[in-house]
Amino acid sequence: MPTITIFKDDFESLLGGTRPASRTVSIEQVEEWLMLVKGELKGHNPDSGELRIELQDSNRPDLWCCEGIARQIRIKQQGKLAQYPFLTGKSNPKKKVIVKPGLDQVRPYVAACTARGYRVTAQGLAQLIQTQEKLAEIFGHKRKTVSIGIYQLSKITFPVTYELVNPSEARFTPLGMETVMTLSEMLMVHPKGVEYGGILAGASRVPLLRDATNQPLSFPPIINSREVGEVEVGDDQLFIEVTGTDLPMVVLTLNIFATNLADRGATIEPIAVEYSTRTSLGKRVTTPQDLRKSKTISIQTIEQALGQKLGIKVVKQALEIYGYEVSTGKGAVRVKLPPYRQDLMHTMDVVEDVAMSRGYAEFTPVMPAQFTVGGLSRIEQVSDRARELMVGLGFQEIISNILGSPEQYSEHMRIDKTEWGKMVVVDNVMTLSFSCLRQWMLPSLLRIEAASSRAFYPHRLFEAGDVAIPDATHELGSRTETVLGAMIAHATAHFSEIHSCLDTLFYHLGREYRLEPVPHPSFLEGRVGRIMIEDKPIGVIGEVHPEVLERWQISMPVVAFDLNLSQLIGQG
Amino acid sequence: MDISSVIDSLHPLEIKVLMTLGARQPPTAFKSEELAIAAELEPSQLSMAVEWLLAKALIEIQSEIVTPVVSLTKTGEEYYQTAAPIERILAAARDAAGTGKRLTIGDLQAQDGMEPADVSKAVGRLKKEGALLIIQGGCIETTGRPSQTVEVLRPLLEEVHNSSRELTSFSPEHQRLIEDYSVKRGNAKEPFRVDERVTRSFVLSPSGTSAVEQLTSQGLVEEVSQLSPELLKDGSWRQKRFRKYTISLRAPRVGTGKKHPYREFLDTVKTKLVSMGFQEMRGSLVETEFWNMDALFMPQFHPARDIHDVYFVKQPTHAAMADESILSKVGKVHENGGTTGSSGWGYKFDLQRAKRLVLRSQGTAVSARTLAGSPNIPGKYFSIARCFRYDQVDATHATDFFQVEGIVLGENINFRTLLGLLNLFAHEVAQAKEVKFVPAYFPFTEPSVELHVRHPRLGWMELGGAGLFRSEVTVPLGVTVPVIAWGLGLDRMAMVALGIHDIRELFTDNLELIRTTRGLF
Repeated sequence: MPTITIFKDDFESLLGGTRPASRTVSIEQVEEWLMLVKGELKGHNPDSGELRIELQDSNRPDLWCCEGIARQIRIKQQGKLAQYPFLTGKSNPKKKVIVKPGLDQVRPYVAACTARGYRVTAQGLAQLIQTQEKLAEIFGHKRKTVSIGIYQLSKITFPVTYELVNPSEARFTPLGMETVMTLSEMLMVHPKGVEYGGILAGASRVPLLRDATNQPLSFPPIINSREVGEVEVGDDQLFIEVTGTDLPMVVLTLNIFATNLADRGATIEPIAVEYSTRTSLGKRVTTPQDLRKSKTISIQTIEQALGQKLGIKVVKQALEIYGYEVSTGKGAVRVKLPPYRQDLMHTMDVVEDVAMSRGYAEFTPVMPAQFTVGGLSRIEQVSDRARELMVGLGFQEIISNILGSPEQYSEHMRIDKTEWGKMVVVDNVMTLSFSCLRQWMLPSLLRIEAASSRAFYPHRLFEAGDVAIPDATHELGSRTETVLGAMIAHATAHFSEIHSCLDTLFYHLGREYRLEPVPHPSFLEGRVGRIMIEDKPIGVIGEVHPEVLERWQISMPVVAFDLNLSQLIGQG
Repeated sequence: MDISSVIDSLHPLEIKVLMTLGARQPPTAFKSEELAIAAELEPSQLSMAVEWLLAKALIEIQSEIVTPVVSLTKTGEEYYQTAAPIERILAAARDAAGTGKRLTIGDLQAQDGMEPADVSKAVGRLKKEGALLIIQGGCIETTGRPSQTVEVLRPLLEEVHNSSRELTSFSPEHQRLIEDYSVKRGNAKEPFRVDERVTRSFVLSPSGTSAVEQLTSQGLVEEVSQLSPELLKDGSWRQKRFRKYTISLRAPRVGTGKKHPYREFLDTVKTKLVSMGFQEMRGSLVETEFWNMDALFMPQFHPARDIHDVYFVKQPTHAAMADESILSKVGKVHENGGTTGSSGWGYKFDLQRAKRLVLRSQGTAVSARTLAGSPNIPGKYFSIARCFRYDQVDATHATDFFQVEGIVLGENINFRTLLGLLNLFAHEVAQAKEVKFVPAYFPFTEPSVELHVRHPRLGWMELGGAGLFRSEVTVPLGVTVPVIAWGLGLDRMAMVALGIHDIRELFTDNLELIRTTRGLF
């Protein structure tokens, strides 16, 4: 989830509302306040005043900025939410954005507004750009669902038109470039075109925002025009637009920008977006727009979930100082989220906000009183018993990664292209060393042996753990089973030595077994056996083939067994 | 020291040496070689026994004579087999004089096995002895006169080749030559080596004399080092003397059978959880996206479901799920909340995507399956599950790791009992008395909380995350009571207990490290 950088004095002045800050805040205080926004302080530079904050809640994009964090804290301090009159929807905007037909196939929605009267500071500009990036990248799924542009209002003549154009005809100078280019050229040459061009793949005509004088503003979601889309410190008249594929998300993103700028003292002027066909919000959509719906929740539900009697007044107050609009009814509250939020899916979302608003420390822990019987699964019991016995037989337990390479698990073992060598393989491989799941235990043991020739001999090693065995008849295409592997390495390691250990193990596990000769490429011919219980093979034992040892660069004889414990207890 | 206890501690080799020294009357000194022959000991045995006796002050060094001894080095042996550079140069110069060819120093240096330093030293000496002339253009010419060095070097090499000899047995001139051509600091490539041989002679000390007297008077009892079944059977151990050991010596190492310290740590956690009434759950390393994410109400567009966060299985790509009813139930919840009272995520749920096979990325997948499998109510469950994340491996990230997590189901479960359970974990697992509950975010719980504890040794640390499962998770899986979902992050605690700083060392391939790591939990 996003980590953002904010400036402490900027944050402090936002905490004081539009008034200048009258006091500085301690870092400890900041850390405590961050609990209100599920934030964690990751770093603090006392010289520059920079604070690095990680925000956990992926459903609260309004908190991924200095303004949003300060707002959440400020409401609690001041006891009420500031009013945002531009959201009432009553105004009849003079300025318009006209959406031409055809965009519904590519990037259907746009929302826009203007902001005047806030002179952009260096810190404010850094926040504006950061919010733009975080919202488009994380909330907007790498600009696919939502992207944002900010412009100098004074250079724009209304109405603005949002339309599809031929990418090899439309042209302007994009941000970061010196010369006029066609949109096709931007897709091929501009770094943002290369990075985000995939969003428009397959579209023969692409989106363009232009003003009434046919001046291009932006090629969404790729890049803005350098002429109008480069906001600088000192600008005090801005035009903000959001385009995307999900109308509520597009509007919410604009709401967040509008409230952020309003918190910094700007006057927001809504804009009417005129579509050629009806959207879920109508044919003419005024943005920003309050999209909130009310939800009625019984006090009993909240109290039951929190395990504490609170009463309607306490609940109402807790929600109000968290930004909600609350009215009360009989044994219930009717709540509305603040306009910059849209994350109310379930009653429990409100319950959590009550708890956070009051502070988790306000709730006394209660021990769960129910009686339950604890216990281990059958396979874990057997595995633990086998581990005890192996320790008693003088073996050192080891523990290994399950994700490994085909080289280790199969090629080195001389079993690639055989039935023994089948494995669960990763599709999106990052590195070959971690590209398949082990299907048996012996390679995990040889991994240690290969690295430990200088540790004094004899080596007696074992591991009990999970393997994945491909099985076309299984729902998941493989079975996860618990396997015990053991090996002995020293100058005169011999089949009978490991056989004795296996024999003792079976005796104490209370099972009969026999060995049956089997050709297995990992072992010396004639010195390898299948471990059978009744007529079922459940493992293999033998002297490891010298060629296997050579491939592992092991220069000590090794004898080993690999025993499937899940199959031993009939859970295979 | 009491002489009889000294005698008891004597090794048979020491007794031999003492008796040999005491046998000569009147007592005189023995040189080492004489002593070895008289006591019938190998030189290595003798030197051990002598060191022990010196340490016990039973013998004394009467004199110490240092003799320089000449022997051939590896280079000397080569010279002996073939020829020394000085010989080769003189021969080459004579050849050149015979054929009338010009011979330069460069030509000599280009010859196989000739180093520039060897060449210049040899040429210098030959010139000094009047056997060579250096003329214009770096050319050399023989004068026809003999070189004293070349005349003498060959017989010297032959003499020393057979066996090393004392330096003083050579004539003073030859001694000078040998010293010129012997290995010195900074010049290892010479034919001769002069070593100092130390010849020591020993006499009995006064206490050694009395020890010999006592040994002689008590008669030699046969000493044994090891009690054997034979000695016990025939009772003959009564006639034997058991040498006393120096028990303060360092013990030799022994290979142990023992558990892996990290597994041992996880075993203690497992035992704790069982003792608190938790039942173990097991799951599969390969899971469907459905159980790994969909059932946990993580929307299919969630960033953590990206190709860069989860490992996908190559073959088969999708699970063969016979019963799709649970898939569509969960799908409805994602789309519009279904019957859970939620509005859902509002997108079109992809049933096929739900069947995509992945490597389990979170232990919560195991809990989801338990919820769907008619769990006990009230019920408490845990699993220690191996999980896989698509991470670059470094000191804090492993591709596969253990997740300790579980669920608690019951009519009376609520936010405060959640905190109570976390308190219990803090006390039982981390021995922490101070805890802090911090709001947190997980896609599948609401409210969500992080447990911070003050560990007795580590100070404040995050011990785990937990919350109440969202109805969007429990209801479609058939559970109608509240459910706590919890997870403990124990790797840091384990790493401190095991004294390691890199998460990769938990799965180290270094056997020496595994054998010597102590788990102090």
